[in-house]
Amino acid sequence: MAFNKPLAGIIIVLTLTILQGCVVTRGTVGEPIQEDAISTIKKGTTTMAEVVSLIGAPDRIVRGNDREIFHYYYYDGKSPAMLLILLNFIRMDIKSDNLYVFFNRDGMAEEVVYGKRTGRTQFRLWPFGD
Amino acid sequence: MANALVEHNSGCGPLGTNVAARFDSIRLIIGLFCILLLCAGCTVRRATLNDVLTPEQVNFIRVGQTTIRELIDHIGAPDEVTESDFGVVALYYWSDTKSASLDFGTLTRLFLPYSPKMTLSRTGITPEQLQVMFDSQWTVRAYGFSRKSTDEPIVWFWPF
Repeated sequence: MAFNKPLAGIIIVLTLTILQGCVVTRGTVGEPIQEDAISTIKKGTTTMAEVVSLIGAPDRIVRGNDREIFHYYYYDGKSPAMLLILLNFIRMDIKSDNLYVFFNRDGMAEEVVYGKRTGRTQFRLWPFGD
Repeated sequence: MANALVEHNSGCGPLGTNVAARFDSIRLIIGLFCILLLCAGCTVRRATLNDVLTPEQVNFIRVGQTTIRELIDHIGAPDEVTESDFGVVALYYWSDTKSASLDFGTLTRLFLPYSPKMTLSRTGITPEQLQVMFDSQWTVRAYGFSRKSTDEPIVWFWPF
């Protein structure tokens, strides 16, 4: 039993040392894209103004092949860190969602393209490996 | 003589075991301390942006045949769409940034109120992209990956 007391003390000190350096950070850019609103966009009938009222003003407007393209994006980053007294591990994982609405020359939605990656953003601390 | 030695050792068995156990503990503590010294002041950082796209993932693309819809169904929406003089270009971005540093002044924190900075640090930022160019019918005209050097090791702090 006499041996267990210093061991318990060492374990407590080590645990406190490890916990005191834990940092969890999360950062986002833009607003999450509402998938319900995307599904209400009908190709050939929904106008530019209706898209703006449904989803909001685009983050970027691109012109390509004589068409207007509205680009909406959202970034989500998760960053855990372990800042020990002598050793530090910091990792950040950032992923993005992108929505493009292609309009024809009449200003009607012609194509809707949506890619969601932020659901796979993880709090991963270990910096080694894939 | 040999018998006598055996007899002597057997008489001190518990004492010998205690000494061996203590010696193991001391070796363990010294080993841990050496590992601590090796790791002291070491910082490892890694930041990843989006998922990596490999040439195998896009080998379905046929120039002049594959449409933007087929592309998006396979690898998702691009991160940027822009227009060039030769047509619309879809860009997919990703990166895996690795950074490590070693601060030799960290050890002095254990016994000094001030820890001087003596740091070696190295960072490898490798932004990569896939560019897909479309013609006026939204069919792939050309595609290609950005230049990529060999993979940097995660722990690599020698800056010279």
